[in-house]
Amino acid sequence: MNAAPLARRPLGCLKATLRQTRHQRLLVRHMATEASQTTSKPPVQHGFYPITDPKKKTIRTAFAVYPQGTVAGVKNASPPPSNVLQALHEAQIKRLDPTGVRTAMFGKNRDAVKPGDVLMITHRRGGEPFAGVVMSIRRRGIDSAVLLRNHLGKIGVEMWFKIYNKNVAGIDIIKRAPKRARRARLTYMRQPKHDMGSVENLVFEWKRTRKVFSTAKSAAGAGGKNAKGAKAAKKK
Amino acid sequence: MAPRLPARCWRQLSSPSALSPSSSLLSKTCRLPAPTPVTLSAPAASTYLSTASARCARTGWSTLPPRTAKPYRFNQVTSGLPAPTTGPAAALKRKERTTPVRAGVLAVKKGMTVFMGKRGARIPCTVLQLDRVQTVFNKTRSKHGYWAVQVGMGERHPDNVGAPLLGYFEAKGIPPKQVLAEFRVRDESGLLPVGVQLQPDWFQVGQRVDVRSNSRGQGFAGGMKRHGFAGQEKSHGNSLNHRTIGSVGPSQGSGSRVLPGKKMPGRMGNQRVTVQNLPVLLVDNDLGIVVVKGCVAGPKGCIVRIQDACKKEPPARDFVQQARQRLEERFPDAEAHLQAARERHLELKAARRDKRIAELLEGGLTVPQSQADEIEQILAAAEEEDKGGRNAEVMA
Repeated sequence: MNAAPLARRPLGCLKATLRQTRHQRLLVRHMATEASQTTSKPPVQHGFYPITDPKKKTIRTAFAVYPQGTVAGVKNASPPPSNVLQALHEAQIKRLDPTGVRTAMFGKNRDAVKPGDVLMITHRRGGEPFAGVVMSIRRRGIDSAVLLRNHLGKIGVEMWFKIYNKNVAGIDIIKRAPKRARRARLTYMRQPKHDMGSVENLVFEWKRTRKVFSTAKSAAGAGGKNAKGAKAAKKK
Repeated sequence: MAPRLPARCWRQLSSPSALSPSSSLLSKTCRLPAPTPVTLSAPAASTYLSTASARCARTGWSTLPPRTAKPYRFNQVTSGLPAPTTGPAAALKRKERTTPVRAGVLAVKKGMTVFMGKRGARIPCTVLQLDRVQTVFNKTRSKHGYWAVQVGMGERHPDNVGAPLLGYFEAKGIPPKQVLAEFRVRDESGLLPVGVQLQPDWFQVGQRVDVRSNSRGQGFAGGMKRHGFAGQEKSHGNSLNHRTIGSVGPSQGSGSRVLPGKKMPGRMGNQRVTVQNLPVLLVDNDLGIVVVKGCVAGPKGCIVRIQDACKKEPPARDFVQQARQRLEERFPDAEAHLQAARERHLELKAARRDKRIAELLEGGLTVPQSQADEIEQILAAAEEEDKGGRNAEVMA
């Protein structure tokens, strides 16, 4: 704040006078009052903010300025943390994705899902799982989402899925892209020339291989256990 | 032509005593300071009063309660008329229901995020952060005409504060604040102790709040963007007028003028926008945040006012009381500090007036008695603790 006048403050002499009065009071003090002494935060001392006269170069006036964070005579307020949004995101992600699987799946590591991969997303309330090519990944903390594109009956369909949402029960990686896409958002796939078409064949293929490699028991309940299959698929 | 008076009236006027200004009738109506003439005699005055006809002619009569000291002030409480529907008192009464019970806070908009529910719900929400929000001043009905609490937020370097405001903060014992704002409250029970800090738990999760802020400034915008005008045709002979607003009013028959308030291009945005009845989703004292459902006008980092919703029920009375109690428990010596700061302010003010302030600064800081006592107590306690500690060491 204003360093100069604070430094000029002769705290030493103040201390001396205070000590003297304290000793005088000690002489007359009763035992009863001694017990009532409590320690707390010291009351704040204000500094001075001098306003100088620009022409005469002398102090024109000065105001007492209390240090920042002074509340009711005590310094107990500090500025709040600035990265609150991040903190909120982390807290929520911890709650909704305790194992960290989803975070790892769409993180920025080698094994993570990339645009061009084919995913299948299962809804919590049942219904047909939606499979499609990853067109883009939107990373926004708790609000992260992935855009899938598929053809349903020769009509292109795109759907956004919020990856941390509880409605997304399972995410299976059907197929990795053979080559890394050179764009972050594969919007060119909407052009007929680049359109990948339906991914139904890929899904069918994937289901067949799973049936081959899995035991009879899990193959029987394959439809409902896609959520757990997601982790296995990821590790593969 | 003036009406002719009957003889019985002017007969009295002709007598010398009736003409004098101090006649009892005149003195009763006009209350003039009267130099009492010698000619007036008491029985004469009583005779005038006794004649009912004279009284009717001069003063009239009425069944209303007698008018007292100032007959030119009408519609008094005593006059038996209904209470006025205009004026300060009536305005306060009228707004009573829509004025919140307690003060609001200032906050900074940090941005938007979502709340993911356990059942898959996704709720967009806005994060508002309270940065050292303190009460600064109370406005009262008797002095200012209404009840309000002035609240300050943030910090400001004294370089950027003018002398008058520095003096204001000095008198409150509060560091200079970035923003000050006033929150009207319903009555005196809504006023708060000065200098205390309002934290996010001032609000209850689930309660409704009104959030006010300035919207994003859009700069100078045309009629299509600013008011949603339709614009004009792209073709059919149109030239260079595709987005212009067209005619601004009828011609000669209607005065050949542009009516006041005509919507035209101009500065758009940066106006105060109130979003009403937003539910509070989360309050967190450590992060200093209040999270409200939905969006709030303005860019990130804009200053926002949050107050209990005026069109919904205020939070439960128990909660309001608890919040108030928490304030008092957290800052028990707010009153004492304010008093000390005021006294200090008066001292310094006197010094400034007498041009002693430079000397005072040279001579060093003199601590006011109340603060000196406190410092003294704390120093003594610390010393005793030290002694105690040393004794314990010796004993060990």
